[in-house]
Amino acid sequence: MANQTDLVTRSSGRIEAVQQREAIAPVVDVYENVDELLLLVDVPGATNDGIDVQLDKGQLTILAKRREDAPGSLLAAEYQACDYLRVFSVPAGIDPAKIDAQLSGGVLRLRLPKSESVKPRRIEVKQG
Amino acid sequence: MFSRFGDTSRDFALLDEFRRRMDRVLEDIDPSWPANPAHARAHSSSAWPRVNLYDGGSNLVLKADVPGLSEKDVHVTLNESGVSISGERKVAPPEGYSAHRQERSSIGFSRSFTLPCKVNPEQTQASVKNGVLTVTLAKAPEAQPRQIAVQAH
Repeated sequence: MANQTDLVTRSSGRIEAVQQREAIAPVVDVYENVDELLLLVDVPGATNDGIDVQLDKGQLTILAKRREDAPGSLLAAEYQACDYLRVFSVPAGIDPAKIDAQLSGGVLRLRLPKSESVKPRRIEVKQG
Repeated sequence: MFSRFGDTSRDFALLDEFRRRMDRVLEDIDPSWPANPAHARAHSSSAWPRVNLYDGGSNLVLKADVPGLSEKDVHVTLNESGVSISGERKVAPPEGYSAHRQERSSIGFSRSFTLPCKVNPEQTQASVKNGVLTVTLAKAPEAQPRQIAVQAH
């Protein structure tokens, strides 16, 4: 191929990566106002140090690891230790440096402030 | 013309493999693709909250996923036959925001569980931490595990 610019080629038939833990997609609410985007993510059982939020090339990756200390032998299970993983495409105009994440009661609250250039501005009409 | 049985099952194995690959492709495009069994389990609303039950030797421990709920939103009742948890989760959109996506839902819940042994109601404790409700139920004295000494004759 003449326009092949990839530094590393990976064949599509590669062996499937082995994943030790299940990654499930947590439920998410997305809200917006003039100043910011607000994401609320349900991540029960996750702790502060298990949370990894990254914004790279317009992709917001939310990864939360659930730490489960079993207080004994399991008698009945409806959930298991898992990772929460969700990826979103983020519109341009989000300031990556100002992203703020808070975890409280198993709900992750992510605030993505818009940069000044994309905020709506009122134009004053001057007297001619 | 007959084909050996092994040939047929290989054909089906191929179909299976094809389905798995398609599922994986769709999952890559959209992680919420419902073919993912873990996803389906986590999102079916038939039983909320999800509960695990552990046997800790001298006690039983019930854990339930209740993200966004605090101690006062959850009620734990203990009776002769078992334990019940109930409560309500209210999800209200924050003031002044418009919604793009609302997957978290308000839900009222009530679940009852029959316990495998008698418990001591006085020594039952419940707490909520990181969105997980933990109910610790001390086993009744007669249900406690007892060490039996093996004697030599």
